[in-house]
Amino acid sequence: MRTLRATLSTLLSLLVVFPIAYAISASFFRYADFTALPPRLFPSGLNLGNYVRAFSESFLARFLFNSLLTAIIGTFLRMTISIMAAYTFSFFSFKGRNALFILIVATMLLPSDALIIANFMTIRALRLTDTYLGIIATSLLAPTHIFMLRQYFRMMSVEYREAAVIEGCTDTRFLTTLLMPMSKAVVLTLAIHSFSTIFNDYLWPLLVTNRTSMRTIQVGLTMMGFSEQLDYGPQFAAITFLMTPILVAFIALHRPIIESVSIRFTGR
Amino acid sequence: MNSNRSIRFKPYIMILPALLLVALFSYIPFVLTFLNSVHSVSLGGERLAFVGFSNYRRLFSNPSFHASLSNTLRFTLFFVPTNIIVTLSAALLSNRKGWLANLNRIFFFLPMAVGMSSMLMILKMMFNPTIGIINRLIGINIQWFNDPDAAMALLVVAGVFLGIGFDFLLFSAALRNVPNDLKEVALINGANGFQIFRHLELPLIAPTLVFIVVTNIKNAMLISAPVLILTEGGPFRSTQTLVYQMYLEGFKSGNYALGSAIAIVVFLLTFTALLILLHLERRRIYYQ
Repeated sequence: MRTLRATLSTLLSLLVVFPIAYAISASFFRYADFTALPPRLFPSGLNLGNYVRAFSESFLARFLFNSLLTAIIGTFLRMTISIMAAYTFSFFSFKGRNALFILIVATMLLPSDALIIANFMTIRALRLTDTYLGIIATSLLAPTHIFMLRQYFRMMSVEYREAAVIEGCTDTRFLTTLLMPMSKAVVLTLAIHSFSTIFNDYLWPLLVTNRTSMRTIQVGLTMMGFSEQLDYGPQFAAITFLMTPILVAFIALHRPIIESVSIRFTGR
Repeated sequence: MNSNRSIRFKPYIMILPALLLVALFSYIPFVLTFLNSVHSVSLGGERLAFVGFSNYRRLFSNPSFHASLSNTLRFTLFFVPTNIIVTLSAALLSNRKGWLANLNRIFFFLPMAVGMSSMLMILKMMFNPTIGIINRLIGINIQWFNDPDAAMALLVVAGVFLGIGFDFLLFSAALRNVPNDLKEVALINGANGFQIFRHLELPLIAPTLVFIVVTNIKNAMLISAPVLILTEGGPFRSTQTLVYQMYLEGFKSGNYALGSAIAIVVFLLTFTALLILLHLERRRIYYQ
């Protein structure tokens, strides 16, 4: 029974990881390896030509630059806006506080994919198509982040801030020297989530960019032209190059990742 | 007095960016989408004349829309149970001790580390009927992109690979919270593995299960990128979904009015799913 379970588990896990493993292996394939009989799972030799071609025959480096730049700036702005809003909603009392909070959080109910036509028209009217600001504009607000940060900030008593302010501490100082270090874990988790959301976005960057030089990696990856000509090697090389750093990070950090999900989603 | 006033306005200034953003990219576009759906709209995006619900009437008598609606619902119907069975099996099977179980768990959540379009491009190449590894390895000749049933199956497979990482982690976390001593007591009293799952683990992970089912339904109804990258709605519109048709009408045909009407239908569908989620949440179900 125990061996059966371990065997089934291992077989299923190999099936799940197969596309990733195959992509890495196929990134070293020579052209003929794809059509070899019997079909090959491993390359005939360590051939790095696909990597050279992926970079020299496409705008891969430029796509990656665009994605990293938009994801870093986007994450920074998104976290700043979320932290400022959550801080205000947790530590200040002002007229209309609850109504305004609900107004912001209620947008969780509006799926952004269904708003793309109207949002595209706005971005076009603002002449922001083919700009970095256009790419990140719709991801700058994360109602879920404001909601979760406020839940977290509220664990700290309001009197803390009041006492600090009376002692002459500014809000900026209170936030950066006290609140942020205290909420390091949740802020970091949300920042990582933001980064991967913006970095992995597909439909929106596809719509607001037209020039090849403005494409993000997720969009550019599907338009490299290799796979259409059944020239799979460079395409697999580009994908492998892109996913390897994240795979390594996930494997190295697998314990904290599993733990954080356990705490965040089941409350224990 | 002056500093008093600035203190009074300070909170509003600090939430101003957030308020501007929800107005500009959530509420205004929502209203615009609705307005566009009841007007005729020019190629430049200007509303020309109020036409009432005639866009909706056109939509509901449009065979292409019928295809999108039924494909979206069919995809949801196939995808959600498949995904739940695969991810829950993965979580149940790997919920044991030892280095092998640990390795299995890493493999199960690793697809989460791969970006969506990377994963879809990998699958597109693996499922190519002539030189893709899948047909060649198994020795079959399925036309994944030319056979309507195979294309739908391919979308379901893609959906599972895109979702398994996160859903697996959620199921895993829920299962590990089932107290071990309860399982031991059940074992001593002669319960078998299935009975433990059915009468002990399943009731305890029910909140997580419900959460995953509802978010899966919502995501399935909004599916677009796999259609765009893998099948482009084909063959013969057999995989054309609502959001994909909305994209075609809005961005390929410049038919903003019809595209907006589809957007409103998508809203109503996902809104229903979210209302169910909120209703269940009120009954003490944990979620993000």
